[in-house]
Formats: sequence, structure tokens, C-alpha cells
Amino acid sequence: MASPQLGQLYKELQQSFLSGNLQQTGVLLARLKIGLTEAGLLVPFGNPNPQDLVVARDILEVGAFWSIRTKDIPSFDRYFSQLLTFYNDYSSVLPPSPREFPLRGLNLVRLLTQNRIADFHTTLESLPLPADSLTANPYIAHPINLEQWLMEGSYSKVWNAREEAPTEEYKFFVDSLMGTIRNEIASCEEAAYDSLPLKDAATLLFFKSTSDLVTFAQQRGWQVDLGAEKIHFAKKSEEKVEIPKERLIAANLQYARELEQIV
Amino acid sequence: MADVEMKPLDDKKEKKEEKTAAEEKKPVPLTPVAEIKGNVAFIERAVSTLEPRFTHRVLRSLAHLRKKLDDKVLRDAVQAIYTTDSPTKQSLLSWLPDAPTEQSMDIDPASTPSKQPQAEPIPEVDIYLRLLIIHYLLASSDTHAKATKLAHETVDKMQALNRRSMDPIAAKVWYAVERAYELGGELADARPLFLAAQRTAALRHDDETEASLINRILRSYLQYSLYDQADKLVSKTSFPAAAGNPQHARYHYYLGRIKAVQLNYTAAHTNLQQAIRRAPPAKTAPGFYQAVHKLSIVVELLMGDIPERSLFRHPVLEKALAGYFEIVKAVRNGSLSQFQNTLSTYAAQFEADKTYTLIVRLRQNVIKTGIRRLSLSYSRISLRDICVKLHLDSEEDAEYIVGKAIRDGVIEGRIVHEKGWMECGGQKSGYGPEVSDVFSRRITYCLELHNQSVKAMRYPLNAHRKELAAAEGAREREKELAKEIQEGGDLDDEGPDLGEGF
Repeated sequence: MASPQLGQLYKELQQSFLSGNLQQTGVLLARLKIGLTEAGLLVPFGNPNPQDLVVARDILEVGAFWSIRTKDIPSFDRYFSQLLTFYNDYSSVLPPSPREFPLRGLNLVRLLTQNRIADFHTTLESLPLPADSLTANPYIAHPINLEQWLMEGSYSKVWNAREEAPTEEYKFFVDSLMGTIRNEIASCEEAAYDSLPLKDAATLLFFKSTSDLVTFAQQRGWQVDLGAEKIHFAKKSEEKVEIPKERLIAANLQYARELEQIV
Repeated sequence: MADVEMKPLDDKKEKKEEKTAAEEKKPVPLTPVAEIKGNVAFIERAVSTLEPRFTHRVLRSLAHLRKKLDDKVLRDAVQAIYTTDSPTKQSLLSWLPDAPTEQSMDIDPASTPSKQPQAEPIPEVDIYLRLLIIHYLLASSDTHAKATKLAHETVDKMQALNRRSMDPIAAKVWYAVERAYELGGELADARPLFLAAQRTAALRHDDETEASLINRILRSYLQYSLYDQADKLVSKTSFPAAAGNPQHARYHYYLGRIKAVQLNYTAAHTNLQQAIRRAPPAKTAPGFYQAVHKLSIVVELLMGDIPERSLFRHPVLEKALAGYFEIVKAVRNGSLSQFQNTLSTYAAQFEADKTYTLIVRLRQNVIKTGIRRLSLSYSRISLRDICVKLHLDSEEDAEYIVGKAIRDGVIEGRIVHEKGWMECGGQKSGYGPEVSDVFSRRITYCLELHNQSVKAMRYPLNAHRKELAAAEGAREREKELAKEIQEGGDLDDEGPDLGEGF
């Protein structure tokens, strides 16, 4: 260890993290990060001692989990990007960490909940696993399945999968994910139905009580007919197809100019 | 004017030479040594006339020359080209394994004829020979380490010399460097070297080398699936427009890869099309041709298009694309089970092609195609039947999936929840703003093609003077014509008068 003081703090951190004391963990993390920076381990360069690196990685991993437990997503993002250096560039020096794939999986779920599908796929491609064995890893398979179901529209599967999270932390994302899919379903219903009975709408949108549904319907501007127990979706009147005049003119002028160059 | 006359003569001479060279080749294939010697002459000419064309020609022959290299050939070539004992010669020879004495005995008489004392050949020749030696060393696995060492030394030498006439060869040397690292299994370690060299090349306006290096770096990123870094590199650098077609083709291929991973399929498709168009003919570079087509088929499918069937009958592609053909069939039929079966059968191949994750994404397209086919053939179909036909897990899923398809505009229709069926609406008419979009995309493509071809044209030096003279003549003629017209006009004017007079 770089300094005995850091070692002491590290031990305290492990204890407080295991006991689930979020506040104390946060305080310790802040002090440890300063310590790591002074020891030149936070963003390692050169050839530091592998054991020190393992400790630094552990601290950052605890930090990442801690950020999720305190629901601080930007902080998770920071910890995770710092960890990537350890996972990618020092993978030959360090023993693999048991928390690596849970964290990578969490990062994928985070990208999904933020609807950053392109980033999700880029990250997926850069995982250090052969592509056809991705689904064999439970931590990675979970976000992959979620994404597939979201894309094809099997929302009920997503809903059912919320209890199958491979680690505790995945559940922290469930709420925002449910919000996302509820909005997705709602926009599909607007397009696909003329009207829906209240009860069916509640099941489709995974609402347990009608009152939740009514508030949600009001937010989206649906007409709720309580007497007939039906929701009428505001039919978007056939949108007039606007002829994009300016674009057409611009395009035509462009052709004229090009043709002139040719002739 | 002298220049103008000189040029055609030169050209003719070249053509003649080319012809004679070709004729010579046909009856008796040139010995590799003679070929190398000829190439060296070309390089010398290229440097003295400042015409990189000759160097390019030399480099084009590299691929097939490479196969004929052995240490005897190389040693002979070095002996023949460097007649005097010089440090360069010594260093070149030191890289080749020592010859058994009897062999060198055979060589000596052959190489003696060129007796007249020659000046030391130019450095380009040295680098060219080094390039050949590297390629030779790379061919057998025992000498990789040696090749890497030589490659390093060559690179240092090139950068110290800093000669523009060396650029095309330098670009090839970088390729050899990459190859050396890759065969050594340490491609990632070469990256800093490439990045530094790329900066230098950009500063020196060394387009050939820069293009080659950008491709090297991109390749190395993609090899390790570092798409983020690759994307950043692309956005921070500008690919030199003056680079050769093969480099452009590679670059477009890599771009296509990056874009496809980022879900930007339209851009990926454009890039891959460019790559296909700029790629060398299918027969000469089948590997690249196949790789681009594989990716391009997947991207096309992801865009919702079905690739042409004739593509799969292409002699070069037929075998390589077998798995992809099955996938296309599955997507076309919208059969999820067929798709899954194909995916598992060819998983290893797709994984090797690095298209597996892309193909997995096709799942949703398969479902969409399935729904679209159903909506075309039925005016009303129950969700239960959809579920059965598309092999979905539950009716509930089917309802969500159909709902999503309607929202995404895949089909026109409604769901009637109470009755549990889907009603399909009429088809969209084929006219609207989309049509003009497609049309304009096509026009843009044609114009782009025209502009690219104009840019790719090459003009002989000073030929415009002739045209100027011709234009001068034309102007004269025009003047005369104008005069005649004027005179003629007088006649015409008189015409009606005459008529009246009669």
C-alpha cells in the first residue's frame, strides 16, 4: 500500500460499505479519492505496483456501487469511466475483479434507462467477451434481454424481468425503466387504439389502481369517460401533409448549380 | 511549346516500354531479380521526374512479387543494384540470412555484368528493398522478431530522410509495420507509434502516409473493439482526399463499421457502398470484397431492405455469404424460428466476421417483417393467430408488439382490444414527400459520382497550353464566322426586298 493511512481508510471503507452505512461510506470515499490522487493511483500511469492498483480498483468499485445506492447517476458515470482504465488497460497486469461484470451490466442498464441505445450498442461491442457467449454471462445477459424486448415491444417481459435482476443494484434502475416503458406503451396505445376500457388500460400500463391510471391519463391528455369506464384517445386529426417548399426549392437550385458545372 | 511536344513523346516511349515489358512477361515470366531491378529503375525515374506515377506502378506489383521472394532473390537483387560496397549495402545484406557459399558462387557471375561504376542509388531504392525484405521476413514465422526490428529501423530512417518522393513507399512500409506487429500479436503496442507518425505525416502534408496511418490506427482500434476511440479519431482527423483508392476503400469500410455499431445505418450504408465501389476488383482482393459485402448485407437488412439475390450468386461471394443468405431468407420470410436456427448454426462464422451482435439486432426486423406480411394478407386477424404465426410467447406480447409496429409506422391499422383482433388499414399511397426524398437522394448520388469522377481524372502537364492555342484559333474562327454572318445577314435583309422586287 502506498501509505499506511490509505490502508487504514480502505479498511474502514470496506467495513462501512458492508454494513450498509451510506453516509459514512460517502465521507470515506471522498477522503480516499484525495489519498489516491496524491499517491498517483486515481488515474494510474507508468508502472505502479499491481497490488496498489487492485486496492484503487476496489475503492472505485465501492464508489460505483455506492453511487447507485444513493441514486447518484452522474457520480456512477464518473466512477465507471475511471474504472474502465483498470478494466481495459491493466487487464493483463491485474487479476480479474469479481465486480467487473456486475458493474459493466449496470452501466448497460443505465444507458438503456436513459434511452441511449447507440451508446448501449457501442458499449456492448467493446465488451471483452466473444459475442456469442455474451448471453452466458448473467450480468450482461440481463441488459441484453431488456434491450431486445424493449426494441421488439415485448413490454410485459420487461415488466416481469424486474424481479429477476442478477444483483440488488439492478433494481435501482427498475423504477426509471418502468417509467420509460410506460411512456412507450402509452404512445403505442395512442396510435393503435380508438378507445380502451379502463380496466384493460390499467393492465396494459401495469397500473395497480384506477386512480393512478386516471392521473396518468390526465398527464397525457386522454379523455377519460368514467361513466362508460373507457378511455378515448385524442385522435390526431389526419395531419395535413405539408409540402416542404423551401427544401424542394433549395434542392432544385442545388441541382441547377451542379448541372451548370457539368455542362 | 517545347514541353508540350516533349510530353506526348515521353508518353509514347512509356507505352512502348510498357508494351515491351508486357510482351516480355507473357512469353517468359521475368525472373524476380530482373523485376526488382526494373522496379528500381522506375523508382529512380519517378524521383528524377517528380512523377509519383511510376512509384505507384512499382508498388502495384508488390503483391505478386511478394510471393516470389526468397533470400537468394533478395540477395541477388541487392548485389545487382548496389555494385559498390557501401554501408547501405552492408546493412541490407545483414538482414538476410547468410548464404551457403556454393550458392553465392552461382550468383557472382550473374551480377558482375554491370561493371561500370555507378553512383550510390537513391535512398528510395534502399527503402524499397527494405520493404521487400520485411515482407520476406514476415512470410515465415521464425523471423517475425527480425522483421519488426527491421521495420523499426526503416521507419526511423524514413522519418530522418523526410523526402516527399518517398511517401508512397513509406505508406507501404507502415502497412508492413502493422503486419509485423499483428503477426507478433501485439497490435495494441504499435498504436502510440502510429499516432505519433500520423501527426508527423499530417504536418508534412504527407497524404499517402497519413491515409495509410489513419487506416492502420482505425484498424487497430476496431480490432480491439474500441469504437469510442475510433469514432473520436474519425471526428478529429480529416482523411486526405488525395489518398489512393484502396486507402479510401478501407477508410470507408472502417467508417461503415463504426456507424453500424452506433445504429446509424443510413450513413453506414453510404460508406459501405463507397467502399465497395472503390475496392479493387473482386478477383484481386477477394478478402476485402467479401468482408465489405458481409457487413453491407447486414446493414441493409437492418435498414429494412432486402439485398439483391444476384449478389449471392457472385462467384467470389457465393461461398463466403452462405450464412448471410440464410439470414436474409429468414428475415424475408419473417420467421423468427428460422432466424434463430440460422443464427445458432452460423454463430461461429458471424462471430469471426464480427457481425454477430449486428445480426442479433435483426430480431426485431424479423418480427416487423412478419407483422407487415400479415397485415398485407389479412384485413383482420386475431392476436392469437399473430402469436402463433410469428412464434411469439404470449398474446399479451403480441398486442404490445403490434401496437409498437403501428406507432412506428410499420403497418397501418388498429387494435380492437375488446374483440382481440387487429384490423389492417389500407396501404399508403406511393406519392408524397418521401418520394421526392428518395428521388433527391438518387440525384445527389449521381451528382456526387460525377464530381468524384471529375476529381479522379488526371491531366498531362502543360496540356492546357495547347488548348489555349486551340481556343485562340476558335476565337479567330468565331470572329470570321461573325463577320460572315454579318455579311450574310445583309444578304438576308436584302432577301425580302428581292422578293418584293420580283
